[in-house]
Amino acid sequence: MNSAVMKKTMFWFVLPALLFYCLFWVFPILKLFQYSITDYNGYVQKFSYVGLDNFKTLFHEEILGLSIRNTLIYTFVTVILGNIVALAIAFLLNANIRAKGLYRSAFYIPTLFSAIVVGFIWSYVYMPDEGLIASFLHKIGINGIDTNFLGSYDKALYSIIAVDIWKNIGTSTIIFLAGLQTVPTDLIEAGKIDGAGRWKLVRYIKIPLLATSVTINVTLSVINGLKAFDYPFVMTNGGPGTSTNTLIYAMYKMAFTDQLFGKASALGIISFALIIVITAAFVFTLNRREISA
Amino acid sequence: MTSAPAVKRSLTHIALLALVFLNLVPLIIVLSSSLRSPKNMTDPLNWFNEFTFASFRSAFTRMHFPTALWNSVVLTGVSVVFVVLLAAMAAYPMARIRSRLSKFLYIFFLSGLVVPGQMVLIPIIQMIKSVGIPMNQYTPILMFITCSLPFSTFLYTGFIRSGVPEELEEAAHIDGAGMFRRYWQIVFPLLLPVTVSVVITQGVWIWNDYFFNMVFITKTLAAPLPVAMLGFLGDQQNPAQWNVLFAACILCALPLLIAFLALQKYFVGGMTVGAVKG
Repeated sequence: MNSAVMKKTMFWFVLPALLFYCLFWVFPILKLFQYSITDYNGYVQKFSYVGLDNFKTLFHEEILGLSIRNTLIYTFVTVILGNIVALAIAFLLNANIRAKGLYRSAFYIPTLFSAIVVGFIWSYVYMPDEGLIASFLHKIGINGIDTNFLGSYDKALYSIIAVDIWKNIGTSTIIFLAGLQTVPTDLIEAGKIDGAGRWKLVRYIKIPLLATSVTINVTLSVINGLKAFDYPFVMTNGGPGTSTNTLIYAMYKMAFTDQLFGKASALGIISFALIIVITAAFVFTLNRREISA
Repeated sequence: MTSAPAVKRSLTHIALLALVFLNLVPLIIVLSSSLRSPKNMTDPLNWFNEFTFASFRSAFTRMHFPTALWNSVVLTGVSVVFVVLLAAMAAYPMARIRSRLSKFLYIFFLSGLVVPGQMVLIPIIQMIKSVGIPMNQYTPILMFITCSLPFSTFLYTGFIRSGVPEELEEAAHIDGAGMFRRYWQIVFPLLLPVTVSVVITQGVWIWNDYFFNMVFITKTLAAPLPVAMLGFLGDQQNPAQWNVLFAACILCALPLLIAFLALQKYFVGGMTVGAVKG
């Protein structure tokens, strides 16, 4: 539609943002496709094209499967646990009680900390023998539990996932709470009159009306999980072994530590495809549900 | 005997208090340890058994706090101003004109949200070098602006569509106001609620980002707060360094904590503008 007021010339307004976006975001991504078929090392400008060799080596090496597995676990657990806990807190906060604002702020505070500070703090929490959890267990007389959380192959990944959940729970809670507060009270009253019990009110009135906030929270945490980088970088360096290597961390390490930029670009392309497919699938299903709800 | 709702309310309070305590216990211990002298190596679980600013003083000088704070303020301030200007402008036609082009642009910007910054890093360093953009402490601003565009244009577009009536603009058009005047004098001022939301959501991540800063900034005295924290990397393995490290953590978080306490309702409101309307 090209009305007299809303003229097409308005599109000039997009130009400055578009320029930044294409120059510093889209163009580098396209470059990544080019680099993925070269043996570029990131520093020397001379490189030659090697066809699909980078992809072939990646598919033969363990690191690809491992980092995909770690990333998917990371995403799955943060999405499920993070949102369930946030939803539960939001329900509690939505009750008619005093000092609501105070509680809400208390849950929100961790989101204000830089990932690097969060990493430091939780490295202390997880420290074997002298850390917070270890000394607490010691104090209440529980001994003999292995408290080397970040140093163990099975526990390290879940330990950093917990940190991510802790950091982001405040944001999800606030979004859920805002969603809950838009649930009209007369709808709840009507439900009560029709004899709906507490659980039924939650299940058939509150949850469907929360659809928008569920979509937003789930989508944001899926993206956040698939892009996970901070805590492997700050807390574990991907270790022990490769047990906390996420896709993005593995790519970063390949590019900067091993100086295999061509190969890292290929891994980047694979991650990119994976992130897009999974996010698109989520957005698509959630939007369809939201409309039907 | 108390009534049933009162019992329920106190149960809710107990549940919430327990959760808040669990949530904040790491931070309480960080605070209590930071208030000890650097040499006090007693169990951190004995809260607040000393009260001195000695560790804070040591952290303060080690991270060059005033310089780092100033660098953070400049980086975040400049970036956020540009984000607001660029994103609001870009959102305007996307919200107002219903055409394939505007739908395409909307999705084109939004899809940038899924791309991790680490992925575009080396091509960007290459490009910045070849175009001749100087690599200094202000270079991260380019990345902050770009990275913030997807979410900010999303928020602005949604808000203009649902919150700024077209009739206002039509009236101004009849009075002879051109496109630019209409935008700057009528639309932009009405965007204030969502601008607050953009400033807060984007400001917080830019303030806290260490990654782009770490890549582009090599001089100690040019580092913003989170990068100054990188100087403590490794200290968390050594209990002898904890008190100073924790003081540094508190110092690093303090400016945002103060901003949050002062502007609480904007923080909470800002988080939800997009969520409820979007």
